Order: sequence, then C-alpha cells, then structure tokens
Amino acid sequence: MKKKSLALTAVAALTTLSLALAGCGSSATGLGGANASNGSNTQAAPTKGGTLTVLTSGTSINLDPASSQNLATTTGGMIHRRLNEWKVSKNGDAELVPDLATNTGKPSENGKVWTFTLKKGLKFSNGQPITSKDVKWGLERSFADTFSGGLSYHKQLLEGAQDYHGPFEGQELNSIETPDDQTIVFHLNQSFGEFDWVASLISFSPVPYGEGKNKDYGTTPVTTGPYEVKSNVPGRELVMVRNKYWDASTDSVRKAYPDSIVYKMSQDSSVAAQQIMAGSGDGKTSMLGDLVPPAQLAQAQANPAQKALLATSGDGALEYLAINNERVKDKRVREAILYATDREAYRTAAGGEIAGGYASTLITPGISGREQYDLYKPGKTGDVKKAKALLAQAGNPKLNLTLVATSSQTEKASAIQTALKRAGITVTIKTLDSTVYSDTVRNAGDFDLAISSWQPDFPSPYANIAPLFDSSQIGNGNMNESHYNNPEVDKLIAQATGTVDKAKALKLWAEVDKRIMEDVPVVPLIYSHNTFLRGSKVANFMIGTFPAYPDYLVVGLSK
Amino acid sequence: MSTFASSPLARTLWYILKRAVQALVVIILIAVALFLVFYMLPANPAQLSCGKPCTPEQLQRVSAFMGTDQPWYAQLGAYMLGIFAGRTFGTGASAVVCSAPCLGYSFRLSTPVTTLIAQRFPVTASIAIGAAVLWMLVGVSTGVLAAVKRGTWVDRLLNALSSIGISSPSYLIGLLAIIVFAIELPLFPSSGYVAFSTNPLEWLQHMLLPWLVLALLNAAGYTRITRAQMVTELEQDYIRTARSKGVPERRIIGVHALRNALLPVMTLFGLDLGALLGGAVLTEKVFSMQGLGMLLLDSVTNLDLQVLVGSTLFAAALVIIANLIVDICYSLLDPRVTLGH
Repeated sequence: MKKKSLALTAVAALTTLSLALAGCGSSATGLGGANASNGSNTQAAPTKGGTLTVLTSGTSINLDPASSQNLATTTGGMIHRRLNEWKVSKNGDAELVPDLATNTGKPSENGKVWTFTLKKGLKFSNGQPITSKDVKWGLERSFADTFSGGLSYHKQLLEGAQDYHGPFEGQELNSIETPDDQTIVFHLNQSFGEFDWVASLISFSPVPYGEGKNKDYGTTPVTTGPYEVKSNVPGRELVMVRNKYWDASTDSVRKAYPDSIVYKMSQDSSVAAQQIMAGSGDGKTSMLGDLVPPAQLAQAQANPAQKALLATSGDGALEYLAINNERVKDKRVREAILYATDREAYRTAAGGEIAGGYASTLITPGISGREQYDLYKPGKTGDVKKAKALLAQAGNPKLNLTLVATSSQTEKASAIQTALKRAGITVTIKTLDSTVYSDTVRNAGDFDLAISSWQPDFPSPYANIAPLFDSSQIGNGNMNESHYNNPEVDKLIAQATGTVDKAKALKLWAEVDKRIMEDVPVVPLIYSHNTFLRGSKVANFMIGTFPAYPDYLVVGLSK
Repeated sequence: MSTFASSPLARTLWYILKRAVQALVVIILIAVALFLVFYMLPANPAQLSCGKPCTPEQLQRVSAFMGTDQPWYAQLGAYMLGIFAGRTFGTGASAVVCSAPCLGYSFRLSTPVTTLIAQRFPVTASIAIGAAVLWMLVGVSTGVLAAVKRGTWVDRLLNALSSIGISSPSYLIGLLAIIVFAIELPLFPSSGYVAFSTNPLEWLQHMLLPWLVLALLNAAGYTRITRAQMVTELEQDYIRTARSKGVPERRIIGVHALRNALLPVMTLFGLDLGALLGGAVLTEKVFSMQGLGMLLLDSVTNLDLQVLVGSTLFAAALVIIANLIVDICYSLLDPRVTLGH
C-alpha cells in the first residue's frame, strides 16, 4: 500500500518537475473543470490561539511602510494600520472603512483638502501613543531617496511634493498639516475624489516621529496592528507575535485569531504545496503564500479531501491584449483585432474555465461603479467576418504584427496568433526574458501586441483605469502599455478623478470605461482567477471579490 | 651554498604571489564583463525602486541615488574604488554607508553585499563541504572497488549506478527525496537551514538530505574517474614490481596505486568544491536554503547589479583559491611535482 503511495508520489513529483521546467506561471493550467469556491463553507470556525504558518517562495519581506507595495489585506495589513482600511466580503464590493481615523476622511475645497481625525487611545507596539505627527512623519519618510519604491500615489498628489526630499534634514512637507495630535490635513495639488482610498495604502501607516532613519527599518519596524515583528531574517523566517498595545475595540477589520504568525521564506512552491496537502510537519496549520503550482492544483482537483483545501477567487485582475496605439494607429484595425480574437481559445490556453471569466469591461468585478457592458459583442470565439470587413474598410493593409511575450505566456500567445490568422493578420511571436519584456512594453514601445494583466493597487475605478490609460502613465516603467494617448480621455479621467461626490464620480468612471473602449486601445480577454491552498486546520480562509488574494486579516486556526 | 631565493619555500611563495596577481586580473576582467553585460541590458534597475506610479522626476532621483545614471565605466570605477575605500549613497542623515571592503550594496535588501555574503556563505559551505566529503569518500571507494573487481558483476553494477547518478538532474532527485523522505516518511525536515552555532543537531538534521542528494549525484563521476585511473595504475610496471617483491595487495592498492590515481581526482575535486562553494543553486532552491546560489539567482531576477557582481567575484575567488590549494596538495601527493615548475 505504502509502495503504491510512494510510486504515486514519485509520479506527482515528476509531473511537478516537468511543469516547473516548462515554466508554467499560472495556477490554472490545462485542468478543465472549474472550482469557483472562494473559500470552502466546510471550513471549521476559527478559534483564538495557535501559530499560523505562511509558506512563501519570497526571499525577503519588506515591512517598511514607505517602500512596501503590500496590499492592505495581506502581510502589511496585519502589522500596519493606516488611516483607512478595506473590508472585503465574499459577495459584495470591497468597502472602505476607517482604521486609525474616526471616519474615512472629510473632503473640502472641492476635494483639494482632506481632513482626517484619529481615534483616541491608539498606541504603537512600543507603547507610545499614535499622533497625527507620526502619520505625517511616516509619509514624509517616503520622500527620502533612501526609502523610495513604495506605493507613491500621494507623491503625485500632495502640494509641493515634487521638490521635497524627506524629513531627515529637518524639512517638513507643508502640505500635510497637524493642527493637533488627533487631526491631520492634506492639501492636494488637484481635486481628488478618491483620496480616501489612497489613505488606505500602507504608506499612510504611522512611524514614530523621528524614527526610521536607517535603510533597514523595514526589517523590524514599530507596528500598530495586532502583531509586532519578533524577528525577520531575509531568506528564512519572519515571526510575528501579538502586539499587546493593539486594541481590538478600535479595529473593525482585523480579527487577529492566531497568537503568532510565522512566514517561512524561500520555499519551493511545489514542495510547500505537497506539505500542506499531505498535512505533514506544519502542513495542517499552514497556508501557501503563492499561487498553487499547476501540478499540485491538478493533484488536488482529483482528490476531494484536497480539493476542499483550495480557494479560488472570482473574477479578478483584467488580462488584456495591449495594442500599441502608436504603431497600430487605425481604429478599424484595432477593432478588427478585437473581433478576430478568440477568447475561448485564449482561456483554454490559460487553463480552461478555472483560469477566469470572459472580460469586456476595463473596470473589474468587485470594484464599486463598475457597469457591465460589451460594446462590441464579439462572442467567445470572435467574429472573423466582422474583422475581415473592418480590415477591408481600412484598405486591407498587409498586417504583420509583433506579439511580445514572456516564456510563461507562450501558449496564450499562440492562441492569439492562431485566432488573428483567421482574419488574415500575421502575428510573429517574440519571446522575451521578463525584464526585457517589461522594458519593451513599458518603455521602448518596440512591439505591436502584448499580453498583460492589471489588478489595481486599491479597489477604485481610478486605480483601475488611470494607470492603464492616462497618457501621463506612458513610459518610465508605468502601465500604459498600449501607449494610449487621447487628450479627451485624459480630460475625462481628470474630471472623474476630481469629482468628490461618490455617486457622480462612479457614474463618470463608468462612462470613461466605455469611452476608452470606443477607441479599442486593448482587447479585454479574461478576468483571471487565482487559486490558493490552506492546511486542513486553517479557518476563515476566504477570498473576497477584491483583491483576488486571501484576506489575511481574518484567517485563523480551528481546533 | 643555497640562497633563500632558490629555496623551495621561496619558490612556493613566489608561485602563490604570481597566482594571486593572475587571480586579481581575472577578477577585474569578470567585473568589467559583468558591468558591460548589465549595462547593455535594456532595463533600468532604478525602475524597480522607483515606486508605483513612477514619474520621470522620481526615476531620475532614484537613478542618481543609486548611481545608475552614470555611464558603465563610471559605475565600474566607483564600484572598484568602493572595495578599497568604501562608498556612501545619498547625503545627510539617511545616507547609506557601505564600509570598505564594500563589494556593493543591495537597495532591494537594504544590506551591504559583504554582509549578505557573510550571512549566506555558511549555508553554502555547510552544503558543499559536507556533501563533498561524502561524495569523495563514496566515489573514491566505489571507484577503487570497481577497479579491483574489474569485469565482475560488482564492477558492472557500480558502472550502472554511476551512469544513473551522472544522468540524474539534481532538482528532480532533490524533489523526489523531499517528497519521499521528508513528506511521506517524515525522517528529515523538508526545508530550511539552522545555523550550526544555534543548534548543531538541528543543523545536521537539515543538512543530511541535501548532502545525500548531492553526494549521490556527484559521487558517480568520482567513481568513474577513480576506476579509470586505478585500472591504469594497476597495470603499471611499478605495481608489477611491487607485487613480485611480495608487497601485500592491500598496500599496493591503498598506498601505491591509489596515491597516483588520486592526482586527477584531486583536480576535479578542487574545481567542483570551488564551484559549489560559490553557490549550489538547484540544491539551495529545492531545499529552501538561502545560500550564495540563491543570492546570485535573486540578484539576476531583480536586476541587483551590485549583488550580482559582488557574489560573482566572491565565487570566482573561491574557485581560484580552491585551485591553488589543489596545486599545493599535488606537491604533497607527488613529490616529483614542485610548485612553480
């Protein structure tokens, strides 16, 4: 019996190896059948206590609020509170709730000034009270050249930020005022209706005034959330233990079930997934910090007990075919590309139904203000007749387009190539190293087509649309990969961005979404799904509608 | 009357000095090549540290701070100077100081490269030295056995086993070993590293599986080369003479033949050990150990040029030193070999 099990294990390992060597990056590869469970209902209830282990392939964990790009509901969220937080749910849109602040912020002067009031009695993990000056100091630190690299939306918005180089030489950023210990006022260089969302980013976490001058502050920072950092050794282990100064009554989001959380770094994802599925060692009380590798996903799908340990997100990041608008200038040609694209074949190449749902909008599901529409209705497999007709209208140009792809996108690129060939469009696939790919697509622009995906840094239409389609986001490594430059759309984006009235702003964003799609700068392909894995004793392992990652803030262990 | 200059000690010192100068030239050439290759890459490391979103002004500030706005030769010059004089990035209270010998600074890990190497080297050394001792013992003894039992089933079996060992990829064997011996039969920890100074027993528990895997794979080559050398040596005239003089067979094999057969084995061992000390990439990856190999791999993935250069130079120095030690050992194994000649 054992021999048989070992043999099966060996086969699984061999499969793992072959898939790993094939460079399959997606968690969903050639599996057929979907698992739409975003957190099994069979999970036992979480209880207080225990040690939760997170197995991650990451080799270091930067916890510096100035230079980290952590999402609000993952690692950083467990130790760093910020002015606002996200409350995610399985069904509804992600919601903005106050965290350190008493409310989500009060805009004035048409959204150019935002005022936040801090809750009383909040303390750092060192016992020091949290004041508005600490929030200001934390933000000012992010301007020092030493601490660049984090989520920098505030750097573009705060008045006078362009010439500011941080607080360490004694200069203050005057556009952040702290009239008293509880109040903080932000003066922006433009009206910005979603500054409340920006204030939910990790950069808005306080750092004790005067501290954090050293570059390695992010290894063991002073914290404000339910956990403090006991140790953080890059490549090995991050240990978080309870922060005795965190007051649960002031926090509406974090459940803080485990007594401690241990991140084991540098793990081989395949080995870690095997360990969790087998429940060996710490496997039962562990969760995988990475997407489930294809071989283990296939293995778990075939075993009901292991399948129950999977959680697959709903429709998440937008995967799209970026068309370089500087090179493919004729809108009719871009529209023909959209009609010729076979999204079903693309999804099959991405792993089948489990890979994601078909996309037609730019604002992704789970984000307030999204309106479902399909401007072109090409169907799942495309409309080749229409594509040919559009090309005829455009004078039947001889199209030989270069599609750049990374090695992990080869199958998806082939699906696009085959589909476009149906309409007489020749596509040459150029496989590039991921670094060179990024530079080609985000800087040089030496390509016609590229496959890309985008999940916003925070769940708002602004973060969904502006980075991809505002002309200011072309080049410098930014995400406007279609090199789309339409002054009219820039104006509309500015108008929606500056609208403080939420309902009006959301309506405007829905219009911007459609207006952009009228120009077909990209072909929306799928809203991708992510699949994660938990040990059998990990409870409340849930993926909300946004982001497409487990909500670390509520995970616990069952008895 | 012999002078010091012509003495064996002086010749040895002169030889080591010459090799050290050669090594320095090689190391400088490696550094130049790495900077050139990196500079030609269509990618800007500063972009990874620019933040999201990144404005042109911000990118310029980050590039200037990291020094990547300079031409490659200026970056190379600053790097080489830093090895002797140390470097400072930025100004004022938050400036980053990298003291001499500064082999670079990782902006991603906020740590000087010398510190990173000091942290990672014990991991790689633990893997490499333990595995090397094992594979040398296993490889040489099986090689001798195969040569002595030439043509028998023992020889054929060892030959077959070594073929399997040589042709097996370490990543595959590592994964299989973990799944079977750490997950299914939890005899060993599946991953991680515990420092010897923290807990020697746990250190040993964590090292055993990687040692066995590496030794299993590498011993195969040593079995083959030892067998071939032993077969050649055992057919030499001096062995026949020794036998005719009645020297015991054990002494003939263990002292006379083996000593000569070991010379090429030592060369191979020096090269293998030196290379492995520079980073056992696949072994470190599959056993989740953060040694020099993983440091190197991460630096390539993250465009961390200074880590890449620093750890490559360190690895190159290890190979050079290992070769030098092998040359010195040569002279001890074979008195006819004199350093410098």
